[in-house]
Amino acid sequence: MARRIMHIDLDAFFVSVEQVADPSLKGKPVVVGGRPQGRGVVAAASYEARAFGLRSGMPLVTASRLCPQAIFIQGSFPKYRDASEKFMAILADFSPYLEPMGLDEAYLDATGFESLHGSIKQMALKIKQRVKKELGLNASIGIASGKVIAKVASEMSKPDGLLEVAAGKERAFLAPLPIARLPGIGQKTEPKLKSLGIDTIGKLSAMPPKALKSHFGASGEVLQRFASGIDDREVEPPAAAKSTSRETTFSQDTKDPAMLESTLRYLGERVGADLRQKGKRARCVTLKLRYGDFTTITRRRTLSQSTDSDQAIFETGQGLLKRALTGEKRAVRLIGIGVSELVEAGRQLDMMDGSAQRQEQLNKAIDRIRKKYGFTAIQTGRTLKLKDVFAGGGKGYSLNTPSLSR
Amino acid sequence: MKLSCLQENLDRGLNVVGRAVAVRTTLPITNNVLLATDKSRLKLSATNLEMAISCWIGAKVEEEGAITVPARLLSEFISSLPSEKVDINLSPQTKTLGLKCARFEARISGVDAKDFPPIPRVEGGIATKVEVEALRQAIGQVAFAAATEESRPVLTGVDAEFDGDTLTLAAADGFRLAVYKLPLAQAVSQKTEVIIPARTLAELNRLMADQEEAVEITVNPEKGQALFRLKDIELVSQLIQGSFPNYSQLIPKKFNTKAVISVADFLRATKTASIFARDGSGIVRLVVAPGGEMTPGKVTVSARSEEIGDDVGDIDAMVEGEEAKIAFNGKYLTDVLSVLHEAQVALETTNPSSPGVLKPVGSDNYIHVVMPMFVQW
Repeated sequence: MARRIMHIDLDAFFVSVEQVADPSLKGKPVVVGGRPQGRGVVAAASYEARAFGLRSGMPLVTASRLCPQAIFIQGSFPKYRDASEKFMAILADFSPYLEPMGLDEAYLDATGFESLHGSIKQMALKIKQRVKKELGLNASIGIASGKVIAKVASEMSKPDGLLEVAAGKERAFLAPLPIARLPGIGQKTEPKLKSLGIDTIGKLSAMPPKALKSHFGASGEVLQRFASGIDDREVEPPAAAKSTSRETTFSQDTKDPAMLESTLRYLGERVGADLRQKGKRARCVTLKLRYGDFTTITRRRTLSQSTDSDQAIFETGQGLLKRALTGEKRAVRLIGIGVSELVEAGRQLDMMDGSAQRQEQLNKAIDRIRKKYGFTAIQTGRTLKLKDVFAGGGKGYSLNTPSLSR
Repeated sequence: MKLSCLQENLDRGLNVVGRAVAVRTTLPITNNVLLATDKSRLKLSATNLEMAISCWIGAKVEEEGAITVPARLLSEFISSLPSEKVDINLSPQTKTLGLKCARFEARISGVDAKDFPPIPRVEGGIATKVEVEALRQAIGQVAFAAATEESRPVLTGVDAEFDGDTLTLAAADGFRLAVYKLPLAQAVSQKTEVIIPARTLAELNRLMADQEEAVEITVNPEKGQALFRLKDIELVSQLIQGSFPNYSQLIPKKFNTKAVISVADFLRATKTASIFARDGSGIVRLVVAPGGEMTPGKVTVSARSEEIGDDVGDIDAMVEGEEAKIAFNGKYLTDVLSVLHEAQVALETTNPSSPGVLKPVGSDNYIHVVMPMFVQW
């Protein structure tokens, strides 16, 4: 049986969620990302704002210059996460073969579901209706025999669209499109292909494989298969999380150890809270640093005993940070901390040192308070310094691109 | 220096001292082995500054002398030679060591023996002797419980208490404790407690493998170093400074449940469960159930992993006291069960968050305490 893969993508997700919460924003140029003078980037822009040339990933400063009348919203990740969870739950009602891609898009294998809904197109319409009715959001859906074609189709159908590519018509569908439409062709590949005279997906598909390989190596082969409408990749339901991490970019590059350590502590507490919420413990702690020149390093340490304690995560990260910064002249742009090698809960008791047990009780108590009154309702002395740096909101610190600061 | 010796003796000697050669060091000469004539023998020495090993082999010495050469190079060269006579000749001007065996000839550039770190002389404090077999068993049942992480240095060592004609060895890493008492073949005049690096004892155990004579132990009055003298071999070790935790208070004095189990059965059940515990934190769960009038008691050993599956094994047991549930890191159980020589072991527990005690049945000189893991049942 021919495969039928659906790609479901929510339109201007962050912005739409904001517009549902505050209907007065509807029909206006809205940007989620942060303060226009800040260093963050555009996380999402409404279609009205896109008309001014605003794009995701664009620095906020540029965005406010292009569209001074835009309404800038800080955004809040928990809100988007909630909406995303509801969205995925709706999709899961339709098929268990579901592969979420980020918060606002997913692949769904609908092969053989025709009989249930009349046709796959009918099924897609039902999905769109439920998303609209229950979340107030518009979804665009592409249907095709493979993931990549379905994604191109959903993208083409936006906003609030539905586009099905019939079996056998994949190649003809893709051929006239500009190459930038094909996922996998980005800022580096596009100019390179254009310089070779390849400006449509059809031309890419017709290019001699040898020439393509000599220019792009093994990835050239994959690109050509996609361009020809061939994509056998399965829809893969996600495996259980194997790690969790948090990171943030500073509003100004910094070398101040107190600033770095208090931010690390804050991020570490977020990671610890995540772990405890999942009921897991971790064996490995990883520190991530990006310097002013965009060089990124990661340093990791494996612990002899698993942990879910804020203190242990921070202290391990702090040790890694101290070592990384010894003799380092560059200032730090981004800092992040993560844990991996997750294991099931179960703490090894110590016969001489009861501090781990006390910390566990302390963390549990803090978790309860934060759940009820918000993350900043209680803070550790180490993170107090951040209070002056980040504008304190009710639900936690606002980092540079608050909508992306989970 | 000019001498000759047998290839197999030299090869064996280099193997003995090889483990004391420094691996990563800021003092390059500690990568070398010292060769020195000592009356009618050749003395080989190596040191990593924590531990030094010297070994004497028979040789026909024609000219006295000493030199150091890269240990690994010499050892690899000698071990690949045929087992025949090796002629060794040092050219003092060039510090080049010439070696000749059968139809092979090699020259190795050396470094002056005067630059080799002096190996401390250990004398004056307590001196005693221990039978090899007893010491080997004691080290085998204690040293593995020492800490491998350096966060608490004293715990990387084995506490040795010499008192009258008894030696008590104890090691702990915070999660488990092993204590072994053994007789001294020669009583000490004054009670002395020192902390010996666990690595030293592991090395000593290796060196004792083909020894029969009692081992001489000497500790200097400052308790800075200890000397272990075997036949033709001397091991000098730095001692760890600091005070070892007062472990006797960590050993529970009473229990609520006691199960007597076959060591082999318990080991098999724990190893089987550990396969399933591998992806988790190594959690192995024990349920000790007393028997009825006609039925024996049993210990149920189980492990489960969300992703993989689970495993349950039952072992017959003689159970005294109430039913008990307790979880341990499977590795800590297999570590201790693998070194017991007795057929049966008694497992004593109080509650799920208090230490469990393992005692071999039929000998009262060994006790092993393991802290449980705190889990949801």
